[in-house]
Amino acid sequence: MSAEKKVFIFDDNEELLELCTLILEDFGCEIKTSMISDNPDVQVMEFGPDIIFMDNWLPNISGVEATKIIKANKEVSHIPVIYISANNNVEDLAREAGADDYLAKPFDISALEEMVKKYAL
Amino acid sequence: MSNCEAIWIGGSAGSLDVLLKVLPRLREDIDFAIVIVLHRKPGADILLTDLLSSRTNIPVKEIEEKDPVKPGVIYLAPSDYHLLVERDSTFSLDHSEKVNYSRPSIDVAFESAAEVYKEKLVGLLLSGANADGVNGLLKIKKMGGRVIIQHPDSAKVSYMPAQAGLYVDYDALLQIEEIADWINKL
Repeated sequence: MSAEKKVFIFDDNEELLELCTLILEDFGCEIKTSMISDNPDVQVMEFGPDIIFMDNWLPNISGVEATKIIKANKEVSHIPVIYISANNNVEDLAREAGADDYLAKPFDISALEEMVKKYAL
Repeated sequence: MSNCEAIWIGGSAGSLDVLLKVLPRLREDIDFAIVIVLHRKPGADILLTDLLSSRTNIPVKEIEEKDPVKPGVIYLAPSDYHLLVERDSTFSLDHSEKVNYSRPSIDVAFESAAEVYKEKLVGLLLSGANADGVNGLLKIKKMGGRVIIQHPDSAKVSYMPAQAGLYVDYDALLQIEEIADWINKL
């Protein structure tokens, strides 16, 4: 990858965040993670990512609401949001949230890297 | 015939970093099984298996019920089950109560392996924040196996290896960079 791509991941599973960070760092990305969804647009704006992964289950504000907040803020609304969930209806949730794509949990390394390649390169 | 049939590795907080440093340095022709039991939450199992696989040419497999234990394979205990090994050298997964607030519990796994492999077992305990694993290591020693412990000074979270160091008559207390060399000599 030429320039280092920046990836923001919202998820309440610390282990998943640690693994995704290790994997995407290997892939040449700079990673920021958050386990809280409060003011998601502000969190995103401060880091300026090329792609956002948003989990469905977050404390306080759900992934759907957090995505809607990001997509309503024109400073960050252009950044692709990939919705992630173990729910069977992840595609519907992603659509409801206004996300750009979705990844069903559990996902493997290649699925994660494919999303970064597709949206952040 | 090798003097080691299996190495069982237990770890909790801070142990993934150690594994990612040790696995790439292991010789690829190991003639024993490596079994990794980590305290972990459900939800990222495939990623963990993939990540460990990416650091070694030794095959890495997440354990399924009744899988036979084969030499030359790195096995990973799944989240949310206790890991046991049967006398016919097959794995068994058990969803009973947590032990030491943990499932899988390292004590449960080590004690089961100690009964089966006896003096041909090596137990390795890595970084972590609770005392799970100490009783398992004691059992391994009692059955004639060998015990190695990550040096608490090199552990991100030192409590678990420090407790083990206090109570277990270990064979070696190793820095991270010494662990692979020790295993490669088996």
